Parts: sequence; C-alpha cells; structure tokens
Amino acid sequence: MSDKIHDRAEQLIAQERVEGISPADHDWLSAHLQDCAQCANHARHTEHALRGLRTMAIPMPTGLASRTQFRVQLRLQEIREREPKRRALWLACVVSWAFGIVSAPYVWRLFQWFGERTGVPKLVWEVGFGLWWTIPALFFVIVVFMEKMRQSSESELTRQSK
Amino acid sequence: MSATTSCLTANRSATLFSTLMADEAKSIARGLQKRDPDLLDHLIELYQYRLFRYLVYITGSKERAEDFFQETWIRVLERGHQYDGKSKFEAWLFAIARHLVIDWQRSKKAQSLDSLTDPEQEHPLQFANEKEPSPLQQVLSQESEENVQASMSQIPAIYREVLVLRFQEELQIEEMAGVLSVPISTVKSRLYRGLDALRGRLQGGAAS
Repeated sequence: MSDKIHDRAEQLIAQERVEGISPADHDWLSAHLQDCAQCANHARHTEHALRGLRTMAIPMPTGLASRTQFRVQLRLQEIREREPKRRALWLACVVSWAFGIVSAPYVWRLFQWFGERTGVPKLVWEVGFGLWWTIPALFFVIVVFMEKMRQSSESELTRQSK
Repeated sequence: MSATTSCLTANRSATLFSTLMADEAKSIARGLQKRDPDLLDHLIELYQYRLFRYLVYITGSKERAEDFFQETWIRVLERGHQYDGKSKFEAWLFAIARHLVIDWQRSKKAQSLDSLTDPEQEHPLQFANEKEPSPLQQVLSQESEENVQASMSQIPAIYREVLVLRFQEELQIEEMAGVLSVPISTVKSRLYRGLDALRGRLQGGAAS
C-alpha cells in the first residue's frame, strides 16, 4: 500500500472527529482500517485520546461559586446605588443641551446687542457666544471622561488587590 | 414506514430542542438585560464547572483560573445587556473569559494569548523547570494520573483551548470561531494540529 493511502486514511480519521466525513469516505475508511493494522492503530490512539479528553475531570475549588455569587451581588448593589446619580447627570445634560438649542438665537441677539452697546469688536462677542455654547459641552465631556477613568481604575484596583 | 416515522420524530425532536435552546438563550438575554440577581446566581451555579475547566486550560493555573472565574461573572453582570440571545450563552461566556485573559496578558507582557502560546515557541505557557510539574499538571494530577491529562498539560494552550471547546464543551466549529474571534479555517487547522499533538504526546508517553 502506498504512503498516499495511509496519509488519506490518517486525514480522514482526524476529519471524522473534527468536522465529519461523507458516507463514501466513511465506507472507504472502514474498509481500509480492516486491512491496515498501522492505520487501525492510529484510529485507536485517536479515539483513546478523545475518550480520555471527554472523561477528564478537574477538581472544582470549594466555595468558588458562592464566593463569586457574593461578589457579583455586591457589584450589583454598587451599580444600582450609582444608577440614579448617573441618570440625573444624563438628564441634566439633555435638558441643558435642549435649552441651549432653543435659546441660541435669543442669546446670539443678546450678545449682539451687548456688543453694540459697549462697542466691543464683533469678533470678541462672537467668540464669547461660541464659548457660552461650547463650555457646557466640554464640561460634560470632561465629566463623562472622568467617570470612565474612575471605572477602569476601580476594576484595575480590584484585580490588583487579589 | 417506520423508518420514515422515526426520521420525522427525530426531526421534530431536533427542531423542538433547538427552539427550546433559542428560548432559553432569549430568556437569559432578557434576564441579563434586567440584571436579575436570581438569574445570575443560577447561571453561576450552572456554568461553574465548565467555565472553570476552560479557564484552567487557557491560563494553565488553578489560582489564576479562580481569579478570572470571578472577573468573568462580574463582566457578565456589567456587560449583560450586550448578550442578544442569538448565540449560545456558553459561547458568549467563554468569549468574555478569553478576552479577560488576553487583556491581562497584554497588560502584563504587552503580548496576546496567541503570541504567548505560539506553538513555535518552546513550551508556551509552561514553566521554566521541566522536571517540576507545571501548575496545570498539578491540577490535573490531583484527580487522576492518566496519560491524557499529562499529555494535555504538555501541548500548547492554543491547542488545548480548541480541544476543550470542541470535545468537552461540544461547541460547533462556527461557535468556536465566534469565541476565538478567528476564521473557521483557523479553528479547523488548530483542531487538527491539537488532535495530532495530543495523540503524538500520548503515543510518546506510551512508548517511554
């Protein structure tokens, strides 16, 4: 028998276990394994390895599940305590954003009027309007960024403390 | 006639089973969305052994596996809303666990699990002194000293992982590709190499 035949048989032995083979390949392999002791041995070793793998047990540490349940409940409590604060923050942001949009034309006129009254150059009061518009948004971005930073450092600390 | 009937019954059972599984996944997704404490307790109980076993195989250490076990469930609580119930819960769970291990390894050594476990490297995720049993060997040999266990601890973690997912967890190749975030062809090639490595180690062990 040529090496190619044995190679094909070995390939089919693995393929049968990993992804399955066609009935024709299965028939060919069965016939070959009856004639070839070397490939039959290979199939036995593969089967033995997989049987061992399937039945292998790892001892479970005592109380790991209950310790984990306790930690998860603590974290859940923490999240629930923080949720109203976070909701209030988001609500405040949404309200201020909506108010900003609605009041923008009036504020623009106010800035214009103030600029004309005081004789401030146009560029200056326009920049003033721009700042009035962007500062709350920047503040919001900073708050969200700090919140994210605090969360990641908290989880890092938890990991390091173990 | 009876063959047709049994075939139809088998088909109906398979459909019923997959519907039940899909319903279960959906109800888990709904519970996680609401951060249901009872559901979380139940899931921890239900998946404790499978998750721990997977973590032992990918980290190579019982202590580290314990840490990651807890971290994984905390992450499940925090990111539960991301699970949509379209895939098996265990596949999502293993993917979370795997990402945590990879993140930890990156933060420690600025390397990924895949690079740490590159089969080209000599004894990846194994420990310096070959005469001493590795932590994984110690964990495995506590239960039994079977050759398969010793062989598993000697093969690269990247192959151990696919063998565990396929032959112990019985995940489909497509599901494994999702867990590992790699193409199906990569999963298959790792499985073939892993199987080959395991059999090779076993034969080597038997010969010596």
